[in-house]
Amino acid sequence: MKKQTMLAVAAALTTLLLPLVVTNQYYLHILNLAGIYTLITLGLNLLSGYTGQVSMGQAGYFAAGTYVSALLMLNSGVSFWVAMIAAAVFCALCGVVIGVPAMKLSGPYLVLVTVGFGEIIRLVILNWTPVTKGAAGLTGIPLPSAFGFRVVSERDFYYLILFFVVLGTYVAWRLANSKVGRTFNALREDELAADSMGVPVNVYKIAAFAISAVYAGVAGSIYGSFAGVASPDNFTFDDSVGFLCMSVVGGNRTIGGALAGAFILMFLSEALRAFQAYRLVIYGAILIFTVIYMPQGLAGLMDVYRRRRRPEGRP
Amino acid sequence: MQYFLNGLPLGAIYAIVALSYSLIYASSGVLNWSQGDMVMLGAYLGFTVVQLLHLGFTPALFISMAVVAAVGVAVQYFILRPLRERQSPPINVVIATLGVAIMARNIALAIWGPDAQNFPSPVSPAPIQIGVLSITRQDILIVVIGILLMLVLHLLLHRSREGKALRAVAQDRYAAVLMGIDTGRSDAVAFATSAALGAAAGILVAPIFFVTFNMGAGLGLKGFVAAVIGGLGNIPGAIAGGFFLGVLESVTGGQISSGYRDAITYALLILVLWLRPSGLFIRKNRQKV
Amino acid sequence: MNRKVISLFFVMALVILSALSLTGYGSAQTQKTIKIGVVGPESGGSAQLGQGQHKAIQMAVDEINAVKGTGEWKLEVFFEDDEGNPTKSASATNKLLQQSEVNIIIGAIHSSATLADMVITQRAGIPQITSGSTGSSITEQNNKWIFRTAVNDEFQANALIKHAKETLKVQKVATFTAADDYGQSGAKLLAAAAQKEGLQLSANPTYNNGDKDFKPQILAIKDSGAQAIFMWGLYTEAALIAKQARQLGVDVQLYGASGMAALKLIELGGDAAQGLVLTQSFLPVSTDPKVMEFVNKYKAKYQDSPIPHAAQAYDTVYIIADAVKRANSVKPEELREAIAKTTGLKLVTGQPKFNPKGDDIGKNLLITVIKGDKFELVKTVTGS
Repeated sequence: MKKQTMLAVAAALTTLLLPLVVTNQYYLHILNLAGIYTLITLGLNLLSGYTGQVSMGQAGYFAAGTYVSALLMLNSGVSFWVAMIAAAVFCALCGVVIGVPAMKLSGPYLVLVTVGFGEIIRLVILNWTPVTKGAAGLTGIPLPSAFGFRVVSERDFYYLILFFVVLGTYVAWRLANSKVGRTFNALREDELAADSMGVPVNVYKIAAFAISAVYAGVAGSIYGSFAGVASPDNFTFDDSVGFLCMSVVGGNRTIGGALAGAFILMFLSEALRAFQAYRLVIYGAILIFTVIYMPQGLAGLMDVYRRRRRPEGRP
Repeated sequence: MQYFLNGLPLGAIYAIVALSYSLIYASSGVLNWSQGDMVMLGAYLGFTVVQLLHLGFTPALFISMAVVAAVGVAVQYFILRPLRERQSPPINVVIATLGVAIMARNIALAIWGPDAQNFPSPVSPAPIQIGVLSITRQDILIVVIGILLMLVLHLLLHRSREGKALRAVAQDRYAAVLMGIDTGRSDAVAFATSAALGAAAGILVAPIFFVTFNMGAGLGLKGFVAAVIGGLGNIPGAIAGGFFLGVLESVTGGQISSGYRDAITYALLILVLWLRPSGLFIRKNRQKV
Repeated sequence: MNRKVISLFFVMALVILSALSLTGYGSAQTQKTIKIGVVGPESGGSAQLGQGQHKAIQMAVDEINAVKGTGEWKLEVFFEDDEGNPTKSASATNKLLQQSEVNIIIGAIHSSATLADMVITQRAGIPQITSGSTGSSITEQNNKWIFRTAVNDEFQANALIKHAKETLKVQKVATFTAADDYGQSGAKLLAAAAQKEGLQLSANPTYNNGDKDFKPQILAIKDSGAQAIFMWGLYTEAALIAKQARQLGVDVQLYGASGMAALKLIELGGDAAQGLVLTQSFLPVSTDPKVMEFVNKYKAKYQDSPIPHAAQAYDTVYIIADAVKRANSVKPEELREAIAKTTGLKLVTGQPKFNPKGDDIGKNLLITVIKGDKFELVKTVTGS
């Protein structure tokens, strides 16, 4: 027990003090982006990993979060926090809207509906020029401030993002280990059985969509202020696919997997820049390799490793 | 009416890609996300054969189909087989074939460069007027060859031994194994056939629409949509779905709005799936419990 | 089981190896060097633009270094691919600034990417020149660090509409533009120009990059009675639009802008592209000695004819080289000042001169027409 708490304290201290030691703005920038993506993956894991409903449209909620939050701040001058809450609520509604047709579907049909939804959002943003400025996008998205302190630099954003990642992870963890989480698992394993046990399957399914949407929406809201600009180019189908990859590679059945997937793939795609033209070829190869030889993702690998270290008898 | 005619050639290509998705889904139970990129590879190979090796259109067609079929088999052998052995969840197959797609696109970029390419079509592109409507010989060629390919596929599936094995596996994989059918081989056949079909589609399409290294992305997605519309796994449905999508895009794009065209297509799709969760063209809801 | 451990080690090794590459290239510089960072789409849908930019910049840097064109200064260049994605572009810019410690950024090509990069360069106080982005909002941000050496969209739109009015005497026109920032910007400017000249805009459909079938929109344009069609996008779609329009019996005059000005347009468009009028800053077949020299050198080195983006990027390097020589420093403020004061240079795409917003108003504007297998000059538009 003691060793574990010591490790935990060390990890916490490292995470808190990191930006004071790492002054490289580029590294911080990448860490911050990874953190934002982690929020999306957390939501996606709850949806796909736990409930088993695959979504290839998270970029849609991400986009909605960014635009709703940014537009409110730019046009109505509300604060970042109010805008974020509004974005979260809007995304929750989006999740419900998608959840309703999704209820009856499974497998590839469900995937298609999520794809369609993501694309519809992107196309609306692209074409509704008077409001969203279309392809030119939004600029000068305001920065957040907390307790009179403005979040400006990469380091400031690090702490803001850290706060949300910790919060998001905690909520996800509690959720996963609660009755709701167990119900989600039940839905994935055997929906028919759950239904016959009296579980309101549809309500839970829609809830899962809404929850994943809120996570992506909050991430979007942060992203808007972080990047300062937003345009439909950021929220394409390819981006949705990227989030799904992070979820699967990290291990979509666990909370830790969400964190792992986002960070590893983020670092990988940046690190591969060294290979110039062959960057994406190698990326594709790694994706294939990971998915074949580590079917439960990296988190799954850790699981197996841990289980091997404890011989039979011990839980 | 002209909009209807215009939607046919692209519809034929969607139909071929959709067919491939359904063929693989029916016989292997997986989604091959690199389907669209087989079309791209076929088209580029056609370009190489015609423009660089100076052989004709027909040799290009056969060489390309053969080479891409080999690629398809490679994908099945190196990717699907290990995934099956480990009983990986279906999402892993999607991601793995996605990885193939990414690799294919960027290898193509490295080999053939970022510029669009094309090669001349064997028939003239001049339009033929039929009353107020016009259509080109090329369009007709695509539709005709497309239908021919589908007929050949139908014959293969229903007359040849491999085809019968495929259909058996599609109906009940476990039973097929019990009957001694080599499912690995039937998977390979399915992948090879789909890839070859894709390549043929690519060769047909290249003279009209040109080849670009990332054309597989759009085609892959649209083909998937078409396959789902027709009912995934249902081959005639996929063909119908492909033509339906081609014509739908043509009509909504021209009559309603070109900017929101795809949004309308997807909205309609979601509506369709909500009302008929197994697709438009499936007759009965065969629920696998 | 063993395989899993091996594969884990393999992946970790790869990640570590490439992570090592993330570490900075900080080297002791005894010679005065200016480090240029270049961001552009070297993969993805606009790869042809990014790769053209890359090749031209590399050629310029090599040339200038060979003849010591910058006096005591040496040029060093670093390239990063942004795939046309604004988020990746910002990361790339960050990396160049932090790891390669560049003194100036050339980038990006997509306007949305350039805007994202500008947030980073402005925060860092480093000059940024875009030789490929044409979105009007780029120079409207009150950002003193950004310069643009891409030929101005507004001038092009005005010149094209004027040509239609004066030469063809049309009254009804249609625009057919890409649904990205480049196309949307063009659509807006064309509409404004048409209104100014008293022409009626009878249809304005859009298309997505990568689309293959344009017949629905072409038919809609035909039904609207437009007497000229103004396209605004890249060459692949433009060539297809031209072909399909002719197939549908739509024979009206087609117009385009510099985004599609590439020999590939003629190659792919074939007969349908004959007679297409478009504006560009640079004509590969021009008799201007500077242009001929550039084109020949590019062809010799890359076996390919340069696109306008390449020419503009090439000139940008020369502008930077000139500025460094004058400022004799790479301190951001001084470099920026020197660039802003650029004058007296005669380059491939014009004689650069920056207005207070950062736009280069000295760019050539040529109206050209496709005849045979090349572009021919119709008119040079002087003055802005």
